[in-house]
Amino acid sequence: MNIRERNLAVWRFLLLPLIFLTVALLGGLRVGAERQNFIFIPPPLVCLILASLLMLLFLRGRLVFFGDWISHDFPLLTNAANAITLLTLFFASAQALNSVLPESGFLFWLFSFFFLWTLWNNLFSEFDAKRLLRSLAVLFGTAFLLKHLILAAFAAPEESGWYKLINYIFEGIPRTVLGIPNFAPATGYISFFALALYVLGLVSLPFAATEPIQENEKVRRIEGEIVNLPAPHEQLNSLDSGVKNLDSKETNSTLDSRLKIQD
Amino acid sequence: MNLKLIQTTGILLSIVYAFFIVWLYWTEPKTVAEISTKATVTVGAYEINQAKFDEGLRLFRTENYRAARENFNQADSEKRDAKTQFYTAYSFYREGWGRTWNDDNLFRQGVETANRVVSLDPNFKSDDADLKLKTAVELKTELEQGIERSWDDINPLKVLRERK
Repeated sequence: MNIRERNLAVWRFLLLPLIFLTVALLGGLRVGAERQNFIFIPPPLVCLILASLLMLLFLRGRLVFFGDWISHDFPLLTNAANAITLLTLFFASAQALNSVLPESGFLFWLFSFFFLWTLWNNLFSEFDAKRLLRSLAVLFGTAFLLKHLILAAFAAPEESGWYKLINYIFEGIPRTVLGIPNFAPATGYISFFALALYVLGLVSLPFAATEPIQENEKVRRIEGEIVNLPAPHEQLNSLDSGVKNLDSKETNSTLDSRLKIQD
Repeated sequence: MNLKLIQTTGILLSIVYAFFIVWLYWTEPKTVAEISTKATVTVGAYEINQAKFDEGLRLFRTENYRAARENFNQADSEKRDAKTQFYTAYSFYREGWGRTWNDDNLFRQGVETANRVVSLDPNFKSDDADLKLKTAVELKTELEQGIERSWDDINPLKVLRERK
């Protein structure tokens, strides 16, 4: 096992599950505005449904190439370790969604609907891993901004400009109906950290696969051919010998032809 | 470090970490300090703060029931000790008891706490000679009777009854 293989194994079997589990831990963590206490919010059912859609999207977008993770050809231990990593990915996805969705009220259902709509549409679009990652980064980024900047402004002091602006937009709608979160600013930082870790984990997924995702067969064949090519000095030697052979053949052939002519 | 060792370590670490996360969401600690308290409860090493309990008991005997309850709460923050909870329930009873009428709100809290004592230790019996109600069931019955509305409430002889 060389250094590269060992580092990849450590990343894939040790760090990646821990990263996703940390996202699962932080995704539901909020800090109360009044007493600065921890509030643990388990993922609602809709987050699990959205996470299932996300998993399907990962498979369709080839961000997770299933055969590279679970296969009949792998030893049991490898399959088990990979299955755990994929399981942690599922729960990290659920908690990442939980982190950017409002906790209750009308806005919770509105956000959930838009997520469902977007992910459902994406399921039938042509995607590759890179595009999928970009799309998800934008989706999560937008939801994060809406929840932790725009909506959190409701929890800001009443004299602040943000509060006045948001209050003007949603004038006449009770807070309880909207489900405005009332958390300490630390919640936004925790959510940002969780999402950053989640994106890091997603980006590293293709590289962590047992057989790196590339134009597998073609690339491997070309690689093999390159490896089997003789070294440059050997090529020169063979060229020299070829030229010499040709020369000798030519001289022989000319002699023969001369003899034939004489005959 | 061979592959099998890395994989095994990864699986074990992931399982332990996952259990920790589930435990956190299950117990919902509110502060970092509470995490360690709840951990001791989980592993069965939970103990009440004896100094706070003694202070609470002293205040209980001097009939300063609110302060006593505050100390009992601090002594048994996880509400796991039947004895402390029994004294808490008793403090609700004694504070809420009145010769002519009872404080229903305090009595209700007393019933709730007495129920907790029953769930923690159904056979709990106090050895405190100062208390006339020795078991949680007796205390609970007394509290429930105090909340109930009946014709007996307007019995003038009621003023002659004694606090237990």
